[in-house]
Amino acid sequence: MTAAAPGLPAILGPIRPRPRWRETRLLLIVAGAVIVGSVSLALTSQVADPGESHGLSLANPVHVAVYLGLLAIAHVILILSGRRMDEVLLPTAGMLGGISLLLMERLPQTQVVQSIGPWRLGLGDVQLAWLILSFGLATALAITVRSDSWLRLYKYTWAAAGVALLLATFVFGDDINGQRLSLTIGPVSGQPAELLKVILVVFLAGYLSENRPLLVEESTRVGPIALPPLPFLAPMAAMWAIALGIVVMQRDLGAALLFFTVFLCLLYIATGRVGYVVVGVLLFLAGAYLMYLIVPTVQTRVDIWADPFKDPSGSGYQIVQSLFAFGRGGLLGTGLGAGLPTVDGNLPIPAVHTDFPLAALGEELGLVGVTAILGLFLVLIERGLRIAASAADEFRSLLAAGLALVIGTQAFIIAAGNLKLIPLTGITLPFISYGGSSLLLNGIIIGFLLALSDRGVEPPPPPKPRGRLARLTGRVSRLETPAAGRAPIPPSPARRPDADR
Amino acid sequence: MDPFLLTVWVVRLLFLALLYLFLFRIARALVGDLRAAAREPGAELGRLVVVSSPGGEPEEGTSLALDAIATIGRDVNNAIVVEDQFVSAEHAILTFRGRAWYVEDLGSTNGTFVNGAPVTEVTPLGYGDVIQVGQVRLRLERPRPARSRR
Repeated sequence: MTAAAPGLPAILGPIRPRPRWRETRLLLIVAGAVIVGSVSLALTSQVADPGESHGLSLANPVHVAVYLGLLAIAHVILILSGRRMDEVLLPTAGMLGGISLLLMERLPQTQVVQSIGPWRLGLGDVQLAWLILSFGLATALAITVRSDSWLRLYKYTWAAAGVALLLATFVFGDDINGQRLSLTIGPVSGQPAELLKVILVVFLAGYLSENRPLLVEESTRVGPIALPPLPFLAPMAAMWAIALGIVVMQRDLGAALLFFTVFLCLLYIATGRVGYVVVGVLLFLAGAYLMYLIVPTVQTRVDIWADPFKDPSGSGYQIVQSLFAFGRGGLLGTGLGAGLPTVDGNLPIPAVHTDFPLAALGEELGLVGVTAILGLFLVLIERGLRIAASAADEFRSLLAAGLALVIGTQAFIIAAGNLKLIPLTGITLPFISYGGSSLLLNGIIIGFLLALSDRGVEPPPPPKPRGRLARLTGRVSRLETPAAGRAPIPPSPARRPDADR
Repeated sequence: MDPFLLTVWVVRLLFLALLYLFLFRIARALVGDLRAAAREPGAELGRLVVVSSPGGEPEEGTSLALDAIATIGRDVNNAIVVEDQFVSAEHAILTFRGRAWYVEDLGSTNGTFVNGAPVTEVTPLGYGDVIQVGQVRLRLERPRPARSRR
């Protein structure tokens, strides 16, 4: 990752800070919201024990201070870097992270306990640590990534690495809840599928931007649907097979759905052809039905979704409790910290910190709060697509759109799952769910989007000649010079001064 | 009502209000960006950036706005006049059809090349592609985005 990334210009070159007033103003609102939320948490806990002296205080002043300090440092670094980068992304991500921190503070700290040396870290502490790493990574990527050739030139290498990672997880991974998702290497354990999401977008952006002109052409017709030359449909079939493979091998429905959705969206953005989307959705439906027939996990999930009240205290327990939580929340919610009454010392919703944070927020902030949170995700998508629309070339455009869509699709899939709109799939709510791999991935995405939004970034490398692929369709004639390599200068003897003036 | 409970509720509502204040400020910024984009005079469809030009006309690094139809050649009547002895009077034509750019060679003496491959018929272009006429190389780029208000 350091190959094409020159050192920090703030250290090497003269510092030319560029003010980011819009970002400053938005971050001030974020700070206000996090502080008020923390006060609200503290007050709510005082309601519970009436004996305590009542007064305004913060629930966990150290955490709030560290988090806001982190955002301030990221902001100052972006100012010092002097780039003309997007000013909405960091505050929006910061707001989501702040909500996440408040939620993790509020849940029983024993949900996650990690002991490092003499310290015992609870849920809130660990989440704060991951948030620090995530925003640190985002800031570092935003100011160091100046060129994208290390991504676009090695797209097949990246794809191979991604598939290798997937296979390694399948072979050496640990089984958790019947899903084989995490991989432990030495002391580090993580979920490689998260990293795979970025790799997939990089590969698709590279592939589609290179082959777009050929994908747009129509040469095969199947009934009313015009298809491109058949060789270029191969990646579509491959993506479909990979998505199904993930379902069968890893029982990871969420990732499969995410991959295929992002793929179809990018294909549509690159070509503007509705036919592809129609074919893709049909393929998806066929595949989903096939999976329903042969994979028991899929069958269970769909049955629970169809009627969770058939077994409300057994298989349908989680989703039924989630629906009750949304119902208890009502319009304005019960207030931060006042929801989720424990049942026998347990939270009503299992895995609330990873899979169901939206249900908890729905109870405590109500319909109004959940709408605002979904609005924040919409803002992230809008910024991503804006950055894509003004990117210098196809690759950067598709990369920005794809990265934003990874966050957006993920938020949609898990939110719809929590609300019983679609069958539940285990996937994280970006920036809000507890989880290191997921937070780091989101940090990487924000970092890349910030870097891509920079107006002064260096121009893309010259495109490769289309020779190799064009030959597949036999469209480019024999005239093509074998020497037409990276420098597209035809041999000069062939040229003669033009006199037809 | 108990003043303490009142405070609790005021703080809770204040949190929600701040969330919406945040969204409102962002929405205003986004709408401002869109308005600025819509106000942009003479919306262009693309740009040609001169990558290399041994003759010096057009100058290297120049960025030329494109209309839906742009002819390239040595004749002064072309939209893009290229002063190069290997360029024909009417050399090539760039057209924006629907949502993509296409290039066509107008029977020039020395041909037109896209990323090094010769153009034999109407060829679709992507942003970032390099077109070569004579010794002059031009890169097709996206239209300039509107300056956001600061």
